[in-house]
Amino acid sequence: MTNKYYEFFCPVKVIAGKSALEHIPYELTGLAAKRPMIVTDKGVRAAGLLDPVIAACEESGLEIVSIYDDVPPDSSTSVVRDIAGVYRQEKCDSIIAVGGGSAIDTGKAVNILVSEGGNDLSKYTGAGVLKHPLKPFFVVPTTAGTGSEVTAVAVITDESKGVKLPFSSSFLLPNAAIIDPRMTLTLPAHITAATAMDAMTHATEAFTCMAKNPLSDAYATAAIKKISQSLLQVMDNPKDAEGRLELAQASTMAGIAFSNSMVGLVHALGHATGAICHLPHGLCMSLYLPYVLEFNLEDIREPLGELLLYLEGPEVYANTPASRRAEASISAIRKLRDQLYRHCKLPRTLKETGKVDEAQLDQIAEMALDDGSIMFNPKEVTLDDAKAVLRRAWA
Amino acid sequence: MLTKRIQPMIFQARRLYVEVMFQVMGRALQAVSEVDKTVNKEAAALPDGFLFEMMVMPDGARLIVEHTGLGRFKYHGDSAPRPVDLSIQFKHIAHAFLVLSFQEKTSVAFANDRMLVDGDISYAVRMTRVLNRLESFILPKLIAERAVKEYPADLGLPEKLISAARIYLKVATNFVETVRAS
Repeated sequence: MTNKYYEFFCPVKVIAGKSALEHIPYELTGLAAKRPMIVTDKGVRAAGLLDPVIAACEESGLEIVSIYDDVPPDSSTSVVRDIAGVYRQEKCDSIIAVGGGSAIDTGKAVNILVSEGGNDLSKYTGAGVLKHPLKPFFVVPTTAGTGSEVTAVAVITDESKGVKLPFSSSFLLPNAAIIDPRMTLTLPAHITAATAMDAMTHATEAFTCMAKNPLSDAYATAAIKKISQSLLQVMDNPKDAEGRLELAQASTMAGIAFSNSMVGLVHALGHATGAICHLPHGLCMSLYLPYVLEFNLEDIREPLGELLLYLEGPEVYANTPASRRAEASISAIRKLRDQLYRHCKLPRTLKETGKVDEAQLDQIAEMALDDGSIMFNPKEVTLDDAKAVLRRAWA
Repeated sequence: MLTKRIQPMIFQARRLYVEVMFQVMGRALQAVSEVDKTVNKEAAALPDGFLFEMMVMPDGARLIVEHTGLGRFKYHGDSAPRPVDLSIQFKHIAHAFLVLSFQEKTSVAFANDRMLVDGDISYAVRMTRVLNRLESFILPKLIAERAVKEYPADLGLPEKLISAARIYLKVATNFVETVRAS
């Protein structure tokens, strides 16, 4: 009898492509929602990204009742409470989060308070605390990387206690994710590169870590193929709507993959580096990915070798001996990073970031060892192992 | 027909096995924190009075240990003196049996969603390292390799044997003391 077992869950309706935003009114009406509130940040509003969302709703006679556009990059419980207060005051009945990871996580947390009642978000922290479906919740991502539109988690800082509160429940998943190429068309080059490499890492770790399964594998490989084929095209021609849509879809697919198979050491190191050195998450992912793959190599040789097909295409895959495909996959990722460095100076080493002190490496290693992602890394990681990977990633 | 008759006995034997294993593991956790410097160091990072629980959902067997300070654990049996800080919960007794009979590694059980973590994930990662270290000591290498992700390369036979003997002696002593006290 087989010992294999897996779980896979993604009930999010994905609405993707040309004029996707214009489906929002119909989809909201289908959930009996008539008074939506938009949760976003100042950057999104300043970039004019709310305009097509509002226009799409107004044209269908759906009024956006309230817009909260002051979500900070690291959202907090007080921000969530404030937004929930506005939601209640304006008698809203649904939430549309427009933005990146922070706006989306904030939207999820606001939905907890307005659905469950009360103002104490900390009551709902942890896994499986929520027992009922929440209010209608839509997500319009404006970056192509986090995959937050299809993940059942949110992280909000409790500033009074100085801790990050994790929330995990399938009820946090939005009813719909709207992937419209207009939303990512104006993303600056370095953010496009870093977020795409975030998605690439989600997919690569989903495919090579311990909880990989046939369904998440399918999403992961498709995501890697799209990123490999479209990222450099978009870097050359940022207004390439077709390519932007490919990256946005890849991000969502990678999000579905990793939320069902988890991630590993790249994320453990990235989370620790983000917390200690305040480097953007996507940048950390891009930076650590090849070094961690090298560390895990002998435990992931077979799946990593398979990825060459999606990274480099059938010709390179066929011309590479099976025994060399895993190394060739790592080389393909290194090559992509070199090209991104030439395009927008996306750092490839910790030293190149200019924001990390070599003396901080031990602290990063210690923190990474306690990160939840490390549990799913295919190879056991000791403190010395983590330090060794960091030293290789230094310069 | 025969299967139907035997099944309740199998279920009972499985429940009994899990209960006994939890009792052994709880006492062994207390012992290993006194014997092994690595475990002691791992435990010392936990807050004093930190209560750790491992249990079978919904209300099955459980073990509770407390970090009493200085990296030492104290086994509390199956009842906690106050709400626990971290709980690792098997979704079903069948899943607990898979792990405790070393058919499924702890890390694989996490990856397979056999268990839930209620509490700070970083402490759960730390406690998993402690459990792995304990299993590496008290199980024969061949079995330990089935239980942990990677058998520690630096754990030589003399250290393993001496530590295992000390842990088993402390576990046995604790069992005797418990019987005498009851």
